[in-house]
Amino acid sequence: MIAVLALVAGIALGIVFEPSVPAALQPYLPIAVVAALDAVFGGIRARLDGIFDDKQFVVSFISNVLVAALIVYLGDQLGVGGQLSTGVVVVLGVRIFGNVAAIRRHLFRA
Amino acid sequence: MSTPTRPDFLTELFSDAVDPAYAAAAERRAVRGPERPLWRRIGLGLRVLTLVAVGFLLTVAYRQVVAAEPESARARAGLVDEVRARQAETDDLQVRADRLREEVARQRDAALAGDEATALRNLEAATGLGKVTGDGVAVRVADAPAAADPVTGAPGANLGLVHDRDLQSIVNALWQSGAEAVAVNGQRLTATSTIRLAGSAILVDYRPVSSPYEITAIGPDNLGQVFGDSPTGKRFKRYIGAYGMGFEVRERGDLTLPAAAEPRLRYATPKQPTGTPSPLTSPSPTPSGGR
Repeated sequence: MIAVLALVAGIALGIVFEPSVPAALQPYLPIAVVAALDAVFGGIRARLDGIFDDKQFVVSFISNVLVAALIVYLGDQLGVGGQLSTGVVVVLGVRIFGNVAAIRRHLFRA
Repeated sequence: MSTPTRPDFLTELFSDAVDPAYAAAAERRAVRGPERPLWRRIGLGLRVLTLVAVGFLLTVAYRQVVAAEPESARARAGLVDEVRARQAETDDLQVRADRLREEVARQRDAALAGDEATALRNLEAATGLGKVTGDGVAVRVADAPAAADPVTGAPGANLGLVHDRDLQSIVNALWQSGAEAVAVNGQRLTATSTIRLAGSAILVDYRPVSSPYEITAIGPDNLGQVFGDSPTGKRFKRYIGAYGMGFEVRERGDLTLPAAAEPRLRYATPKQPTGTPSPLTSPSPTPSGGR
């Protein structure tokens, strides 16, 4: 419950403050979103498994976003930014799908 | 498979996606017992902060995407407008060129003796540089309707598309059947006209034409019949049944084919007039053969 409230508060903050993203950070935004979604779905699954841990959640979120951004940055420097972004999205996407499938099994027993 | 206990990375990725760290933390908790209330409080605060950050991130990314979308749409709309404007401009220029050319022809006819003017006009008609009228045929050929996949509704490969080769063979068959002047969608053809495919568009003399294509030709009375009996005509009649292509030959009276664009001179250059150039609108025709 408190988690949903916090999420809504974050969305409200974003709407109220209308932050503008510096141009240098714009390529990292989609990757950061995917990484954050991976952390969130991982957390939900752990919660349903009954093994949720605050520290793990916070660390996985921060490290996911940072590592994803780092990989894209490295890729940009090496001239393969697009391909590495695709790789990050594929890996995180597979993880999200797996976690969502586990959540579905928990919720619907199917 | 040197380590049977650990599957390779991809298998692991696809089989079980949960962070093993959660399980490890749960095990540690089971061993050490629950954390102290202070730590739980801090953990809760961190969790809330992280989720606020996630929500913030989602909103920012969403706004970014929404802000970027009209940007590209606007650029596209601008380009479309520019293309339209340029097309209108060339059309205007074409109309003006046609008018000027008529003016030149009139002046020339007035300047030349009757026989020469007639010979010149006939030459112009034959080469496509002059507007011509007469009876002939209109050949209408159109792409087959796109065949949609009955299950998914996705457009499949369309085998009945009209290609540049089809238009070329129709035009060539018309010439062969005795046509004296041919135009594709109102674009008059000359001896050096091109019908080409550029991407998926057909260009006639570098101007795009689109389906349905109407090829008008002026020629002898039996032009339509001769063309219909020609191998090309028979082939396209078969295409109607085989691919659903549209194909129709109709006799048409009183066709008017416009003049083709003025050919670009490659080797010749216009002669510079010597002395004072007489104004174009000079009312009295200068006697010919003077120079």
